[in-house]
Amino acid sequence: MGLLTKARVKSPWLLHFCSSSCNGCDIEILACLTPYYDVERFGILHMGNPKHADILLVTGPANRRNYKVLQNLYAQMPDPKVVVAVGTCACTGGVFHNCYNIMGGIDKVIPVDVYVPGCAARPEAIIDGVVLALKKLRGELEE
Amino acid sequence: MRLDWLVAWLVLLPIVAGLLSLSVYRSTLRKALVLGTAAILAFMAVLLAAVTLGKGSPQGLDTAPWLSTLINWLDFALVAYFLYVGFRWRHYLVAGLAALQGVLLSLLEFWQLPHGLTVHPTFLLDPLASIMVLVISVIGSLICVYALDYMPEHEAHLHLERTRQPLFFCFLVGFLGVMNGLVMANNLLWLFFFWEMTTLCCYELIRHDRTEEAQASALRALWMNLIGGVACVLAMFLIYRTLGTLSLVAVVQEASLGGALLLPLAFLSLTAFTKAAQVPFQSWLLGAMVAPTPVSALLHSSTMVKAGVYLVLRLAPALFGTVLSSALAVFGAFVYLAASLLAISQTVSKRVLALSTVANLGLIIACAGINTDLALAAALVILIFHALSKGLLFMTVGIYEQQLGSRDIEVMEGLVNRSPVAAVVGIVGMLSMAFVPFGAVLGKWASLEAAATSTSAWFPLVAAFIAVGSAASLVFWVKWLGRLLSTVPLREEEKLEKRKGVYAYGTVLGLTGLLLVASVLVGGLVRELVLPAVTALGYQPQVAANWSGWGSPYGFFTVWPVFLVAGAALLLPLLTFRARREDYRPVYLCGENLAVEEAAFRGIGDQPVPLETGGLYLSASWGEARLNPWINLLGLMLLLVILLVAGVGA
Amino acid sequence: MNGTNGLLVLAVLIGVPLLGGFLRGVDRKLTARLQGRIGPPIWQPFYDFLKLMGKKTLISSRATLAWACGYLALTLLATVLFFLGQDLLAVVLILGFGGACLALGAYSVRSPYAHLGANRELLQMFAYEPVLLLTAVAIFLKTGSFQVASVFRQEGALIHSLWPTFLAVLAALTIKMRKSPFDIAASEHAHQELVRGVYTEYSGKSLALIELAHWYELVLLLGLVFLFWARPWWAGLLLAVFSFFLEILIDNILARLRWRTMLYFTWVEGMGLALANIVYLNLIRGLL
Ligand code: SF4
Repeated sequence: MGLLTKARVKSPWLLHFCSSSCNGCDIEILACLTPYYDVERFGILHMGNPKHADILLVTGPANRRNYKVLQNLYAQMPDPKVVVAVGTCACTGGVFHNCYNIMGGIDKVIPVDVYVPGCAARPEAIIDGVVLALKKLRGELEE
Repeated sequence: MRLDWLVAWLVLLPIVAGLLSLSVYRSTLRKALVLGTAAILAFMAVLLAAVTLGKGSPQGLDTAPWLSTLINWLDFALVAYFLYVGFRWRHYLVAGLAALQGVLLSLLEFWQLPHGLTVHPTFLLDPLASIMVLVISVIGSLICVYALDYMPEHEAHLHLERTRQPLFFCFLVGFLGVMNGLVMANNLLWLFFFWEMTTLCCYELIRHDRTEEAQASALRALWMNLIGGVACVLAMFLIYRTLGTLSLVAVVQEASLGGALLLPLAFLSLTAFTKAAQVPFQSWLLGAMVAPTPVSALLHSSTMVKAGVYLVLRLAPALFGTVLSSALAVFGAFVYLAASLLAISQTVSKRVLALSTVANLGLIIACAGINTDLALAAALVILIFHALSKGLLFMTVGIYEQQLGSRDIEVMEGLVNRSPVAAVVGIVGMLSMAFVPFGAVLGKWASLEAAATSTSAWFPLVAAFIAVGSAASLVFWVKWLGRLLSTVPLREEEKLEKRKGVYAYGTVLGLTGLLLVASVLVGGLVRELVLPAVTALGYQPQVAANWSGWGSPYGFFTVWPVFLVAGAALLLPLLTFRARREDYRPVYLCGENLAVEEAAFRGIGDQPVPLETGGLYLSASWGEARLNPWINLLGLMLLLVILLVAGVGA
Repeated sequence: MNGTNGLLVLAVLIGVPLLGGFLRGVDRKLTARLQGRIGPPIWQPFYDFLKLMGKKTLISSRATLAWACGYLALTLLATVLFFLGQDLLAVVLILGFGGACLALGAYSVRSPYAHLGANRELLQMFAYEPVLLLTAVAIFLKTGSFQVASVFRQEGALIHSLWPTFLAVLAALTIKMRKSPFDIAASEHAHQELVRGVYTEYSGKSLALIELAHWYELVLLLGLVFLFWARPWWAGLLLAVFSFFLEILIDNILARLRWRTMLYFTWVEGMGLALANIVYLNLIRGLL
């Protein structure tokens, strides 16, 4: 593994986007930052700015009102980047499936790399998902 | 060339050219006249510098006695004209001051001075005078040339029946001759004449547009400067009573006599403060911006206000070691701080420039008050570079004004996209006023070191004022720069530089070149020009200067690494880094952005809302309404303290 | 420039960022420990830097990159001049130019968050710049020269007579290290109400360069602290380490304050102390 790849894997900065979720998953994401789970151990920082982020965590289903926001944020992240869909909603639309304003999982609007199911997804699962995303990041680079 | 011819050319050529221009209504002829005068004048100034620096010692020059008599009568003619102005516009303050001046002048001429008094020499040519002449004749001439482009466009907006340019150029070009006379005069009566002539030129140039506002501003400038005139006559009274002569050198040489000269020196300082628009007289310079921009450029950079600081610098050796000197230092530093703070809240570009001028002149006066060799060198460096930068900035702002139809800084947002050449020139000008490797700020650096190295009990205060003022000036320059820089990339904007006037752009670019060359070679400039002047004033300079930089035994500033590093770091990426269209992303707007070039976000009902940003002005904290009363009060109190201190000392 | 100076420059160019990055790592680790977390590895800042350098370049304006380079280059120059023992006042002024470049980069595209951050960056400079200038003056009054090198020719430690100035420097250090309560230009860590303030429009390489410049700046400022107890050298080192830890502690126990409070505090506490110190020294100098 090259130095640059190692640096990438060691320093994933997250952007968290809540796309019409019920906030259940968002709370679990924030729980990851607490001392109990402390994701900064892995060099993970929670960024408020897509231009600085490497990993996009999306909670909730794609929604006709704001899917463009999601697309914009995704476009503003510089490569290499990974998208993690957190929670059943983000994966498939979940409990909101077939709702009049819902388009389905977020993979309807942006490419998704890792799916973390669960309603809500547990912090351990989210961390697992991010680690998987890192593997993906590494795998992509090694290809 | 003989010295007397040189002086005659420098003083009379612009005045004659100005008078000639009164009858010139053809623009080609006017261009030839102004260009010719400018070229000859600049050449003569360089010649004068070469001669005075070559000779080593100051050169005196006497004139025929009838000339002195003529000057005396012209003095009265001037007073009569000011009196007329006062009554014509029912401005009784002007009339009163002019009358007072007339009475005092008559008393001086007919009662106190013996008939046919000769003062030897009439003119004194030393390196300080040469520096001033260089600044006046080179930068001033460039501004006159610039006006050749500015004025036709300016008049196009006014819809005049008959052009007023002949009158305008008469005073503009004539001003240079008057200023040249002022800085070379040694006979105080001559100095007074030229002094009042600058007041006259200034008055006429400010009221040039003949609007109500212009007239009011001109009258304000007039009465404030007349106060200075009155103080000057009073000073002459006292000086003649003590010394029995009216020679400026004598005043400086005899200063060791002690306290008796302190009061006239304080009066002369007051004269200088009015001309240099120091607090509480700053309002005339702020009002003067209603005039066409070449006037502002001229008043701020090479003439008028520079006469004030010139006088203070000339008198500085006389003040050496006196309490008046310390008072000047505190006063000047206070003005630097006050004007810099006031500039933060200004939204009008020319007012920012004007307040920055007041601030820098204050700093020069503070340096004269600190009164060490390093301080004097710092003062001269600030004087030279301030003239270069401020002349450049005013001319650039004049260009913006004609392109945008406004002087407001907010309107200048993103000018680098719309008017790239002028914007880059303006950016260079502002950087040169705000940051170190450039001369104006090197002067500030030296002044701070000089303040620290002087031993008077007051200097911590001076240093603190300079330190805070310096930070304030950084704030207002950077935020203005920020407005110019704030662009929307990829957007096709209407280009404003459709017509690049050859005189306007030529002079502005030429001055930028001059500024950059002088800034890089500042060490050489200090060694070849400034140090001789400081020596000639009677200081033993310990200032060290070579081509790489300058400094004192206490600290040295090497200039070229900073230029090299900053230049390379800022220019190389711009020159080498090419971005493709697809590399651009819109600014962060919480994901609600539209395309890059649109600079808008989606609002209610997905309607695009254009993005607007505004500058930082902090008017709640540093607004004029809030600060002005305090600043004027403090300024006035400091002035009174200066006079009191001098009076008690006497 | 002779050989030793050349070597010194090289050492500064390479050594200082290593030290700075390491210190930032210690900072993050300590902060985590103070919050009861394990925290990232000490080498984390280097990973971050490398990763940012390797990001694909996306820009919102070409000029931002140029200004980021300017910020880095001028900070670097200031650091080199400082360690070469040059004029302290000049170092402070060059550093000021560098800091302004950071704001100018943020200004060079029409972006509300970046502009907000840049405005606040300017206010920060307004707060600390006079303090640093006066510090140089105070040190001059003690050593008789503005050259940094002169401090080492001085008998005894500066801090004995310059302790008020030292306290003022600590206030400036809080701003310069971008620590609470004065991290108003760009929120650090997970605080995001300004998005990333002045850094919002910098990304990838330009953000990496800014990070690098921060490392230089950090070491330069700790060097300034070191000057207060330069002899014996280990005392200065201890003082610098102590100040560094103190700032981290302050960062963790205080919330962010408003810019007005920052200005009042730095001017009244910071400048007031420095000025009082200068007045006192000046009087003493006059008496002797
Ligand atoms: S997955 Fe469950 S907890 Fe998460 S957003 Fe959907 S409904 Fe809420």
